[in-house]
Amino acid sequence: MKKFWVLLSMSIAVLAFSMCNKADIFPDSGYDERLSGGLATVFDETSKAFTNAVDGLSERDAIIHGLGDKSFEQTFVTAPAPVNSGLGPVYNNVSCISCHHNDGKGTPTVGASNSSMLFRMSIPGTDEHGGPLIVTGFGAQLQDKASVGKQPEVKIDISYTDLPVTYPDGNIITLRNPHYTVIQSYIPMPSSYMLTLRLAPPVFGAGLLENIPEQTILSFADEDDKNKDGISGKPNYVYNPYTKKTELGRFGLKANNPSILVQVAGAYQQDMGVTNYVFPQESDYGQSQDDGYKDDPELPDTLLNAVAFYVKSLAVPARRNVLDADIKKGEALFTQINCSGCHKPTVQTGVDVTLPQLSSQRIHPYTDLLLHDMGDALADNRPDYKATGKEWRTMPLWGIGLFQKTNGTPYYLHDGRARSIEEAILWHGGEAEKSRNAFMQLSKDDRDRVIKFLNSL
Amino acid sequence: MKKIILCTAITAVVIYTSCNKADTSSPTSSEDFATLETTVLSDFTNNVAIAGYLDLDNQATILNDAVQALNTNTTEANLTTARNAWKGIRTVWELSEGYLFGPVEDNEYDPQTDTWPTDYVQMNNLLASSQPLTVSDVEKFDYSLRGYHPLEYILFGVSGNIAATEITARQKEYMVSLAADIKNVCHALYTSWISAPINFGQQLTTAGSGSTVYSKKQEVYTKIAEGMIGICDEVGRSSENTGKIYEPFIAKDSNIVESPYSENSLTDFKNNIIGAYNVYLGKYKVQGKGFSDLVKAKNASLDNTIKQKFETAISSFDNVTVSFEKAIFDQRQQLQTLMDNLSDLKGTLEEQLNPFIIQYITD
Repeated sequence: MKKFWVLLSMSIAVLAFSMCNKADIFPDSGYDERLSGGLATVFDETSKAFTNAVDGLSERDAIIHGLGDKSFEQTFVTAPAPVNSGLGPVYNNVSCISCHHNDGKGTPTVGASNSSMLFRMSIPGTDEHGGPLIVTGFGAQLQDKASVGKQPEVKIDISYTDLPVTYPDGNIITLRNPHYTVIQSYIPMPSSYMLTLRLAPPVFGAGLLENIPEQTILSFADEDDKNKDGISGKPNYVYNPYTKKTELGRFGLKANNPSILVQVAGAYQQDMGVTNYVFPQESDYGQSQDDGYKDDPELPDTLLNAVAFYVKSLAVPARRNVLDADIKKGEALFTQINCSGCHKPTVQTGVDVTLPQLSSQRIHPYTDLLLHDMGDALADNRPDYKATGKEWRTMPLWGIGLFQKTNGTPYYLHDGRARSIEEAILWHGGEAEKSRNAFMQLSKDDRDRVIKFLNSL
Repeated sequence: MKKIILCTAITAVVIYTSCNKADTSSPTSSEDFATLETTVLSDFTNNVAIAGYLDLDNQATILNDAVQALNTNTTEANLTTARNAWKGIRTVWELSEGYLFGPVEDNEYDPQTDTWPTDYVQMNNLLASSQPLTVSDVEKFDYSLRGYHPLEYILFGVSGNIAATEITARQKEYMVSLAADIKNVCHALYTSWISAPINFGQQLTTAGSGSTVYSKKQEVYTKIAEGMIGICDEVGRSSENTGKIYEPFIAKDSNIVESPYSENSLTDFKNNIIGAYNVYLGKYKVQGKGFSDLVKAKNASLDNTIKQKFETAISSFDNVTVSFEKAIFDQRQQLQTLMDNLSDLKGTLEEQLNPFIIQYITD
């Protein structure tokens, strides 16, 4: 009898272990859908939802993150000054946070203290690295503010005209079509300039995006549209001034930036006029308005590194109400009308031995980080490396439902022209036209479900 | 075999008893607690936040009047009145930083009035130039050239003791516009809580029942707690080694002190913590129901602990007997104790009040 029990318990043990080893692919249903950033997800739906560090940083990393956090909020002032010296002489704003409100998006106005638009200008042709050809006297970016006694490079006016769109069911929604005019410049503008505007995007989750293997991004590309779904998807390759190599572009609204470090360093130098070890020359170097101080780089290396680490280690907010029936239906519709063709719901990050929270994570960024033709209505007609004047990088959609909380008034798209998610969808053209039209064909209830789903991200 | 059954039975009993932990809370009924949740939100909104911002609005008018009087008649007496009015509005503003969320943050009323550091190079260039300095010009300036601190620089001077006769015509022009700008911003802040289009007060009181900002009361309570924790962090020493006391303290540098010309920094900091305590107690000028009442209803001991830690932290400011600018050199032990007490308070709020909200305020 004893033998029987021993035998039975051994068989049960074997059976139990073999069951553990059943499938080799963990089924989708086994994952918690709320975890948009995998381990780097935070449960916070307040106005501070974009400002959290990933959980479980080491004590040292937490201190660096904290230092970066503080520096991100610091107002820079004109040199020479005992603290935060080096603003300008020409600039777009005075701190990171003045444009990236609550680490989120900004306000699409110009000239005000909370204005979060920047302007890039180039002329036809390319520079020695294949990038935009900049104009002597202006540089790559136009600064619309200047220290007292200096002239802003330009003053720009934004106006909007109404653009009504009628749904097949008769509902009408009025978009606002932006018009940008240079109303003043400190020296004459070149004859054939190409101007583009950008609204500051949210900064969280960048560490995960930076950690997506290049191969994964390239696997989404379909430049010649071989699968005939109307969506191509093209990687941008850009010059990295720090490594001095051409690399895959991931950040920036045209994927014209290769890394968080270059993104942050460029923002300090171009947006604020604060020089640093990546960009040691003033943005107005060689121009008549240069301050002439020999104080470059103005930003301590530690602070640039800390801010870059801060951005890298910001967590992604968790989804809300994922089990809601309307949201489930909206999610299915999102896939059905192929929004997911570019806004890839699920991506796997690569290995990062320094930050396990970012390493091998199953994330839901809703982007392929590739360039797509978005049609004439959204085109800025200014090429940027491989990106044509009609192409934009797929914007990540995670956190999009929290913009109202993080920003007070939410704005969408590269220049903030859309005041609601619905308006943003209706601006989609080019490769996204089919999906946009399919969205318009949906019943009002179904359209609302898609939007409700997007608001759960 | 019997042994196995017995074992299973014991395990089951253990599991069930552990699930059925004894409820140690007071006999307050859930209905009463829910009513209290609503009352506390309403009292915080009306008696603390809106009352505080109304006071700020009034103080801004007093400051504006005093600065205008100083401009018209630049006497020592008028300068003293203006300085007192500046300190007066700072008190009310710093108290309101105990609840730094909503329009003050979303509409950037905070950086419009309280940006630090001031851009003194630009300010001096501005004063030396002939650039217009009307209110509408000042409104377009960078935040580092607006608000309390540029005005402090003019009213107190670098020495902290400028004579009325030393204030230049350009400084007068600037200070009049700065004061008017502060008045406009404070008024906008107050109205954003009481009327459309924002009516933030209503967004709070209707949390979970119509509010478009807060779908649950729990979110507001979390936000309020976050505000209290945030100000402890901002003032003392945060876990990331930042803080208004810690940074000048560790660097032994009085250049990086917040209100150096008026030597008002320590008063500012103390008022910040009193402001947070007011939020906890639900009182400003009128005593209403506060967070404290909710905590007391479920866990009286936690309520006592939080109150005691607030009071210890607030009273430890009084151990510093010189200005903050001097204390970072001469009274380091007192500042260290103060920072320790603030960290202790923050720890309790983070580790005990936050879980309390999650456990008990579920709607």
